Amino acid sequence: MPNRYTPHPMIEYDSITVRMHRQTLFEGATLTIGEGEKVVVRGASGSGKSSLLKCAVGAIPLAAGSVRVAGMLLSAATVAGIRARIAFIGQEPVLGAERVGDALLLPFTFKAHRHNRPGDERVRELLAQLHLPPDILEQSCARISGGEKQRIAIIRALLLNKTIFLADEVTSALDPASRSAVMEKLFSPGITLLSVSHDPEWINGCDRIVEIEDKQLKDGPADPSIAEREPATLTRKEDA
Amino acid sequence: MTIDLSLPAMLSMYGLMVVPLLILFYLQLGVVRDTLLALVRMTVQLLLVGLYLKYIFIFNNPLVSMLWLAVMMVVANMSVLHKAGLKRRLFFWRSMAGVAGSTLFASAWFILVSIRPEPLYDARYLVPITGMILGNCLRSNVLSLERFYSGIRKNENEFMTYLMLGASMREAVRPYLRDAIKAAINPSIATMATMGIVSLPGMMTGQILGGAMPMAAIKYQIGIMICIFTAMVVGSLVNLLLSLAVAFDDHQRLRPEVFRDLP
Repeated sequence: MPNRYTPHPMIEYDSITVRMHRQTLFEGATLTIGEGEKVVVRGASGSGKSSLLKCAVGAIPLAAGSVRVAGMLLSAATVAGIRARIAFIGQEPVLGAERVGDALLLPFTFKAHRHNRPGDERVRELLAQLHLPPDILEQSCARISGGEKQRIAIIRALLLNKTIFLADEVTSALDPASRSAVMEKLFSPGITLLSVSHDPEWINGCDRIVEIEDKQLKDGPADPSIAEREPATLTRKEDA
Repeated sequence: MTIDLSLPAMLSMYGLMVVPLLILFYLQLGVVRDTLLALVRMTVQLLLVGLYLKYIFIFNNPLVSMLWLAVMMVVANMSVLHKAGLKRRLFFWRSMAGVAGSTLFASAWFILVSIRPEPLYDARYLVPITGMILGNCLRSNVLSLERFYSGIRKNENEFMTYLMLGASMREAVRPYLRDAIKAAINPSIATMATMGIVSLPGMMTGQILGGAMPMAAIKYQIGIMICIFTAMVVGSLVNLLLSLAVAFDDHQRLRPEVFRDLP
């Protein structure tokens, strides 16, 4: 499908059909997200918002259609490379270690990143930018809040220099100051963002709203300030 | 030689079963029927084994002994997969390689390197020792497979997170593999640590009842425990590693059809 938004498509869902637990979530749905674009997906509960994000990293199989990320067609041969480009931040991110400091450095224990271990300075700088105290590194992952976990997961992705973020309700557990800090990071020009959110401020910050309707992905209102209104009655700004 | 149990003596043993059965009936646990069935099965199976072993020892033919061991391994392997909740048709040959390979490795070490009977394939050593190792491996393989696959199934997001953070397949499964092996061998470590204090091991007791000197029986017990432990660790690891290729698809997703409770 020709891209209407930017000349460099970063995530492309091409006529995807997704079935889970004998239920069809998407039937030939298509969506293209350009490099640096910030997109939020909306839809009723259970409509497949999170599943759409998971499809991009090959966590959920496609019954039909294809997904491309950064020009790579998602396949057995490319899935590792695609996962390396993408950060997936869920509502309850998995930190995968006992201590926060170890969780942040977990990827650098894997062979793929062993030689790129970040310096303490970089870690502390990112902690400060996301309003987290340096002593959180010593804390147990089990004892920090959901919002702190989300920010640690974001920092970890930034340490890996990921530029494509799939964010599932990442501001749901954040106070306003932390939310602004997270948005400042994820809405920076170098990052392509596909997100699920009910947060009006987040939605307003996005370039595009995509609605899940009748198992299809449809462009919602282009002007984020009218995001909370009924999308079906609106036309895109570019189309008007 | 051990005093043989006469028919009245055996009947008195069955008579003792009335005590637990009455208690189970009184507690209304609903297991009286299962217990009776298990008792009958045990009796029939052991009678058959007694009969087989009698002839296997008379023949003392390596092929006959190996055939008998092969049957035991196939049954053990089917039982491992069934109890671990995994589909037999997907895992059978891989699991068979793990179970049989580790059991044969440990029993060969014990018999060929340590005991060195004459002839080396003497059924009196080959069959009971391999059988004991196999029986214990069965338990550890069930525990490791069950723990490994249920661990990944319950923590799919965690597993995917490892992959997203750059872990290779081997690196991503490692935490679950560690948990599974630990679960499989922990009971044996505890058993070894308390052996002789809180329990007298079966092989040693059997040998003493059979007329062996206690020190000779103890040496065999130590040998068999080391073999069992080795076979458990090797078998669990090999079994898990071999199973990976069929349990995951080419996108490193755990295939739902590996579980018996899913279509």
